[in-house]
Amino acid sequence: MKSAEVDESYRKRAIRAVTFLAGLYFFLEFLLPESVLQTLGVSAAHSHISTGFIVVGTMAFGLGIINLFRVHGTKVVFRRKDWAFSFALLTGLICMMTVTGLDWLSGLSVTEKNAEYRNLGLFTEAIVSDAGSSPEEGRVLPPKQVRLAKLIEASHRLAQETGSSLDVLTDALPSQLKPEKRALFQQFSSQLRGRITTIVAMTPQELSSDEEILSFGRYLNETGVLYEKLLRMDYDVSLIKKVYLFFFEGLFVSLGSAMFSLLGVYIASAAYRAFRIKTVESFLMMMAALLVMLGQIPFYEYISGDLPAVRQWLLEVPNTAAFRAIKIGAAIAGLVMAFRMWFSIESESFSQQGGK
Amino acid sequence: MGVEHSTPGILLLLLGFLGPVVFLIRRACRGEEIYVKRIAGVDAVNEAIGRSAELGKPVSFTTGLTSVSPVLYACLGVLSHVAYRAARFRSKLIVPQYNPEAMAIVEDVVRDSYRDARRISAFDPQSIVFLSESQFAFASGYMGLMHREKVGSAFLFGYFAAESLILAEAGQQVGALQVAASVSPEQVPFFICTADYTLIGEELYASSAYLSREPIQLGSLAGQDIAKLLFVLLIVVGSLIATWNSIFPEAAFSNLGTLIRYPWSSLWEGVP
Repeated sequence: MKSAEVDESYRKRAIRAVTFLAGLYFFLEFLLPESVLQTLGVSAAHSHISTGFIVVGTMAFGLGIINLFRVHGTKVVFRRKDWAFSFALLTGLICMMTVTGLDWLSGLSVTEKNAEYRNLGLFTEAIVSDAGSSPEEGRVLPPKQVRLAKLIEASHRLAQETGSSLDVLTDALPSQLKPEKRALFQQFSSQLRGRITTIVAMTPQELSSDEEILSFGRYLNETGVLYEKLLRMDYDVSLIKKVYLFFFEGLFVSLGSAMFSLLGVYIASAAYRAFRIKTVESFLMMMAALLVMLGQIPFYEYISGDLPAVRQWLLEVPNTAAFRAIKIGAAIAGLVMAFRMWFSIESESFSQQGGK
Repeated sequence: MGVEHSTPGILLLLLGFLGPVVFLIRRACRGEEIYVKRIAGVDAVNEAIGRSAELGKPVSFTTGLTSVSPVLYACLGVLSHVAYRAARFRSKLIVPQYNPEAMAIVEDVVRDSYRDARRISAFDPQSIVFLSESQFAFASGYMGLMHREKVGSAFLFGYFAAESLILAEAGQQVGALQVAASVSPEQVPFFICTADYTLIGEELYASSAYLSREPIQLGSLAGQDIAKLLFVLLIVVGSLIATWNSIFPEAAFSNLGTLIRYPWSSLWEGVP
């Protein structure tokens, strides 16, 4: 056997083995009771395994982008037929990716500021809990007073930074806000200034009890939330947010809605073609559709008061029965197909279809 | 995790459904003849490809919103056949894609089919076009493709949602002969109204076996029918028990649903 054929043989075996093991895992995970899975340690590992599958799926997403650049990039570079459409598509793709990336970074910087306050809040909880328990073996903690001094030092630094940032916001932001938002900004900014003053004036001596330390932690958390609200106001009027909204809500969502609205026209044209009575089946379909439509509209009162009941019967009895029959058939066929995939019976047949 | 998904009754049902499938696959592999009834929509597959070749127009095949799932694998059997025929007839094949994971598999299958047809040099990876992962962006991309390429035949196989009518109407507008197959019953009426041939539900799974005549697929198709018969039998027995229980409540039996729902713990703790 040639080397390439041997490699291919091993590759196929490896794929089959991985497919079988993955299928076996999910089959047993579905089938076995929770108590057995916990004993085997599967329950603990399940979230990691699921994350692994998400990672593989995410990697495949890149394939889509590569394909777009390959197909449409070639058209643009070689000026092939309809290259202008490809150019528009690639331009749209690049613009949307850039704007979304920048918007995500801007949003991230807003939440990061709050995170700094939140971390200090968590630090206060750690100071209190560590003081009340013996440290783990091999772990040396600084004395409580030293940690409190560090907490105050970090709080002062953060409050001063927030104060500077607030000055910049107060100079530039109000003129860009709508009146109701501006009033809200004034209210939040004066509250935040008061809090900054309180934090800057705080000394380690004022935090003598655990309750005072925890209370200071909560105060820091609330300050962070307030600061984030102000930063978000700034972010909402920023250029990048406006451009993102223009691309997403202004173009993408509107164009999607326009496509969806085509359905209204298409349903009418498709119904016209389908309801031309050419056979007994199309006559039956036409009659059923007529009864359902007449039973739906208020006009039925002029024809017969029983039409809504007929409509309901048609939808709930013959229609539901047919739906269930299709679903049962498709579900069993899907089960069998899954079984063939699990045992790699199906994958082999694509390239060896005898009937060709 | 943390939820009991299954019971011994489910395991028994699974074995009951899969047993006939395994048995008939083995019989088919031994060379025994398996009868498959004629499906007009599947017969139309070859007709549609031939029509495209005669007109000198491209063939389009989309798997719609199908992700990597058993439905996709059912579609791949038909795609393989369509790609093979298109390659033999030197027709251009376009495969618009919605899901990037499925796209990688689709590309592999189309390449294999071109290789089997000894026309690998004609295989163009750019014929497998990723349009978008957004439903209506995909639909608009598909419409544009149909109109620009003026396809002669279009195959819509797989899972479709609200965009099904938009896709099928696009083919209708350019005069393509369309064969559609969907496992979602909600979309079947739209396809019946718009496409020339429609495969309903499990016919999609059967089409690959019908086209390829491959023993494994034929065997599993025949096994599926027995599994369905078992399902119908369960429905009839369940209905009879329910009827008996409503007439004679003092002598009621446990119905099948109750038996299937007994948990694993009932095996060692006793049936309640």
